[in-house]
Amino acid sequence: MRYKTKEAIVGYVFAAPVILTVLIFTIYPIIAAFYYSLTDYQPLEARKFTYVFNPYDALEIHTGVLREEAKNYKVDELLSYFDSVSFVEIDVGVKLSDEEKKIIRENFDSLNLLNDYREGRLPQQIKISEFMNRYMKNHGERFTRYVPKFVGLQNFKDMFKDMYFYSSLWNAFLYSIIVVPIQTLLAIILAVAANSKIRGVNVFKSIFFLPAITSSAALSMIFWLIYSKPGILNKILMSLLGNFGFEPIDYLNEPKIALFAIMAMNIWSTAGYFMVTFLAGLQDIPSSIYEAARIDGATGWQIFWRITIPLMRPQIVFVSIMGTIGCMQVFDQIYFLIRNLRNITISFYIYKNAFEYGKMGYASALAVVLFAVIMTLSLIQRKVIKEEY
Amino acid sequence: MTVKKNNFVVTISYIILIAYAIATLFPFTWALLVSLAPIKFVDSNGNEKGVNIFDWPPRIKLLPKPSAFGAPLSFQNYKLIFEVVPLYKRWLLNTVIYAGLLTIGNILLNSLGGYAFARLQFPLKNFWFTMFLATMMVPGQVTLIPQYNLLVKYGLVNTYTGLFLPKLTNIFGLFLMRQFFLNFPKELEEAARIDGSGILRTYFRIVVPNALPAVSALAIYTFLGAWNDFQWPLIILSNKEMYTLTLGLNFFKTSYYTYWQYMMAASIFMTIPMLIIFLSFQRYFIETGKAVAVKG
Repeated sequence: MRYKTKEAIVGYVFAAPVILTVLIFTIYPIIAAFYYSLTDYQPLEARKFTYVFNPYDALEIHTGVLREEAKNYKVDELLSYFDSVSFVEIDVGVKLSDEEKKIIRENFDSLNLLNDYREGRLPQQIKISEFMNRYMKNHGERFTRYVPKFVGLQNFKDMFKDMYFYSSLWNAFLYSIIVVPIQTLLAIILAVAANSKIRGVNVFKSIFFLPAITSSAALSMIFWLIYSKPGILNKILMSLLGNFGFEPIDYLNEPKIALFAIMAMNIWSTAGYFMVTFLAGLQDIPSSIYEAARIDGATGWQIFWRITIPLMRPQIVFVSIMGTIGCMQVFDQIYFLIRNLRNITISFYIYKNAFEYGKMGYASALAVVLFAVIMTLSLIQRKVIKEEY
Repeated sequence: MTVKKNNFVVTISYIILIAYAIATLFPFTWALLVSLAPIKFVDSNGNEKGVNIFDWPPRIKLLPKPSAFGAPLSFQNYKLIFEVVPLYKRWLLNTVIYAGLLTIGNILLNSLGGYAFARLQFPLKNFWFTMFLATMMVPGQVTLIPQYNLLVKYGLVNTYTGLFLPKLTNIFGLFLMRQFFLNFPKELEEAARIDGSGILRTYFRIVVPNALPAVSALAIYTFLGAWNDFQWPLIILSNKEMYTLTLGLNFFKTSYYTYWQYMMAASIFMTIPMLIIFLSFQRYFIETGKAVAVKG
């Protein structure tokens, strides 16, 4: 075999696991999400055909004829006790639309089913999809696979009327606007301080890294304790400011404060981590540039704004874009610590819609909007930071 | 004058760094202190007393025996959480399995893929690579719902397979490995090829042993990410037996017999393995900290 052919085969074998998992678990879901966003996808409805039931139980309840006695009845007689639509809807348990009721009325093979019931030919356990497939003369496929209703842009129109959509998107936005600049600036300050020829830089680096290796779940619990009304933060503030009329605050249950408390926690937990990025950038700046500036009489302040910041542009772009993407999607801390629906962010609202309210179509539409917002923000950011320097 | 000025800068720098170090350590220290306080204890008069961790001042004493809130400190709560919540052991096991399998899968598959994309020529290579790049911009919330539905369809919710299969490769990891192989000197492989070594043999004999630094960094980041993951397990796991430690913390929070002491013990407990890994492999963290973001 030629080396090139061999190389192509080995290349595909090596790359196949990555290509496959990305296709199945990223590309397909992206396409599906866009499709869902145009439908009324309901997870409970989607699962309704996969449930297993006992057809004898259902028929006994429906007709009032016990299974042992069914053979003593004529089919016509049983048929008079039987109504296909209410049987499917109530006793099998499949919610039907008006159109589906019509299809059932016309195509359900009641005769066949009742004959099987009389002669005991039904299975004890059967999946709803299989059952419907067996006893529908036509259109069985309508009742075996869930097809969400196509609603066009309705989900997007609904958002305009949804107060929580506005508030949750705004909260995520506010969160980014406050957290990203502060954490970036703080990280730069820490990096500049660590770069000024001091001892024990590695000790400081390790300490600052600590929150980044702790799970947001554990951090949330720790801050829950610290932020609680009788907690230590209030105790410290009381002993410092008690004389000035400071009253203990219930940080996480006060709707006007809760989100800001979480922002503070977020800044605290990421600034040190990003400091490491900036420090690496600072160490790449040759010291001759600083010396030249100093000889020309530049002050420390001027050096910081005119030399350090512009030279660290790549790191600033990286940190602010990563920070914005992270902040727009903030979830764990919100899940753990926010009680008030008005304080939640968009990613948590998406979660709630999809997994608590059972509105996956709407949740997907929200996710599509979030995607568009994040894309726009990072494009703007890239442009602004490029132009300013 | 410059010396004096430099001294001033250094002093200010120390003040800033020390102040921020205290601010960083304080929440952990406080959580640790609370986790060491007992729920109840028997005082010197033989009376059983409850402990209020909100007592102020906290009356911290190290001698003769460490005590706070008027009670002796001990690591007992770390033992008690396993007794109070019998499933805790299982959750720890689940987390180790999840993080372990994910790490093995990721280092294996991403390094294979990274090598293919860095070094081998195969049809449609650029097409796949561009597609990977494009998917990086899509936030997790978009793919979450269809991923969940896919797993529901194949009966994989509440299973280990469902938990780790979608995360078995990672685009960031692939890029990290690809970047490493791109910077890896080509001469070694070329020499091997001239000596008649096949692609597979070259990969396993020459490339893999030299890729250890990148593989370690990837392993550490994957393990850390999986250990601390919350949103994905929250969605995929509803069966308490299958919980990971982060979901366990959520359980501590929502169950009615919560004590701050237990919650802090559980929080600190699940941080300790990460701390050990961090302290032993520090340089990998700080070097790759530039390239990989830990938190979503």
